[in-house]
Amino acid sequence: MMSETRQRTRDKVLTAAEAVARYVRPGAVLGMGGQNIGRCPMALTHEIIRQRIGRLTVVGCNLSIGMDQLVAAGLVRRTESGSGNLERFGVTFCWRRAIENGSLEVEDYSHLAMVSRFLAGEMGAPFMPTRSLLGSDLLPATGEAGKAVVIEDPWNPGQRVALVPALQPEVSIVHVQRADPSGNIIIEGFATHEPEMIRASHHVIISCEELVSTEEIRAHPERTTIPFLYVDAVVVQPYGAYPTSTYGHYDYDAAHVAAYQEAAREGSPAVDEYLRRYVWGCATFDEYLALAAGSERLIALRRAMEEML
Amino acid sequence: MTPASSPAGPDHSRQELMVIEAARDLRDGDIVFVGTGLPMLATTLAQRTHAPNVVMVIESGVIAPQVRPTPISVSDPKVMHRAVKLGTLREVLGCLLQRGMIDVGFLGGAQIDRFANINSTVVGRGSTQRRLPGSGGANDMASHCRRLLIITHHERRRFPERCDYVTSPGFLDGPGGRERAGLSPDFAVTVVTDLAVLENDPQTCALRIAALMPGVTVEEVLAEIGFRPEVAPQVRTVASPTPDQLRLLRDELDPERVYLKAEESATTSRR
Repeated sequence: MMSETRQRTRDKVLTAAEAVARYVRPGAVLGMGGQNIGRCPMALTHEIIRQRIGRLTVVGCNLSIGMDQLVAAGLVRRTESGSGNLERFGVTFCWRRAIENGSLEVEDYSHLAMVSRFLAGEMGAPFMPTRSLLGSDLLPATGEAGKAVVIEDPWNPGQRVALVPALQPEVSIVHVQRADPSGNIIIEGFATHEPEMIRASHHVIISCEELVSTEEIRAHPERTTIPFLYVDAVVVQPYGAYPTSTYGHYDYDAAHVAAYQEAAREGSPAVDEYLRRYVWGCATFDEYLALAAGSERLIALRRAMEEML
Repeated sequence: MTPASSPAGPDHSRQELMVIEAARDLRDGDIVFVGTGLPMLATTLAQRTHAPNVVMVIESGVIAPQVRPTPISVSDPKVMHRAVKLGTLREVLGCLLQRGMIDVGFLGGAQIDRFANINSTVVGRGSTQRRLPGSGGANDMASHCRRLLIITHHERRRFPERCDYVTSPGFLDGPGGRERAGLSPDFAVTVVTDLAVLENDPQTCALRIAALMPGVTVEEVLAEIGFRPEVAPQVRTVASPTPDQLRLLRDELDPERVYLKAEESATTSRR
């Protein structure tokens, strides 16, 4: 299952339950797409929580509400990222609490350093140089290896440069606007660290708003963000990033993000109750959408996005 | 912050003037790497007033948008309005910022020390430690920008002698610190608060008081700083806002008072 062999079938369409069961194993290094309140892979995150797949190392640039819910469910051992927060909605409270009480390992980088690690990973290079991190406490103390090392630039004697190690997640989860059954994907709008992370990953599960035909992909190949070669599973899930936004489709739901944040800030039992009600209490993501938002709310979020663009 | 009783005058709050003063610091044509919140509010104000050709670059990959009021995140669709390009983190943090194409990095509040080092990772030690969001793109901005502009509510705990953790490099340990670390020494820092404007002394690299908000004394500023800053030879008084600046800020850029009145919750949400 977790070999280097990617899925080679033409039809990779699976349910979220099937895709997660097949490609996310306990102890995996899990790459997360999205940023803050934009295009977080919530349907796939909920499914990991529903299947209680634990001991995960969660990696990304900004880790947000999805990562925080995995932490709340007790499924995360470690994170490697540039930040954990939802900006105006506050920090990722469960993550913060777990770091402060020592139950979560955390490795901090800058966002560019994380992108550089995925960039090395996607190109099959062992590491990437950067001039970020220099002089800061994000660099490990002298002698500590692993996270980053500083060397003299071989071409510019006397110039220091930091090297950060390649990162190739075992599996990444990303929510996109469109995909075809074979896994060609189209990301519309901002793409964060996702192109680099997807190509660096050993396996990739995509959820999408809309399934399109391979004919449509072939008619406009210049629109393809990532070709099918990198993708193992395609899950069709409209509103799959809710309550975060999907560019061109729907805005974020501030009320529901705030409701989660309130529970997360309070911690147990409020956040356990949130997960029981909205994740474990729902057999599918569609059930969650009906419970948390309802069709009128979802239509309003779609309209809000239309008006904005 | 009670606008009516503020010594800054009856017609505006110090917080409003802080945003307006930070906007004045941007020059027309500057390419600015902007965080959300007060930095974006001030940058939008600059674009609508004296600096229409300021170019915004936003960390989520957004290049040169015409931001719609009032975004609350770098991934808020409002920051993407009429952008010329919606790209990737690599494009903006790597191909613009690290590449050396950004003039000003503009950040919101955090912990800032005497040598303008910034902490957004962890404050306190041991059992009293409090975890913050982390670097995000802040370390990259401080490492690669020529000018760093910081806007923050003025509180003593935000200005320690030395940060508990240096997330983003200012002048590190003082003169020569950036060169020794491998960073460009071509660097300047301005901190705009609701009490004063602090700038690095070009010789000592330490932050010093460069300007005061109207009605604020040097003593009041000193009482709210955890180190003893020098006072610039000619301390100026921050100019009062024009009616146009206030109208834009209140009626167009933050009409729902997402940032302007609720600043306290903006800062406490990080705690």
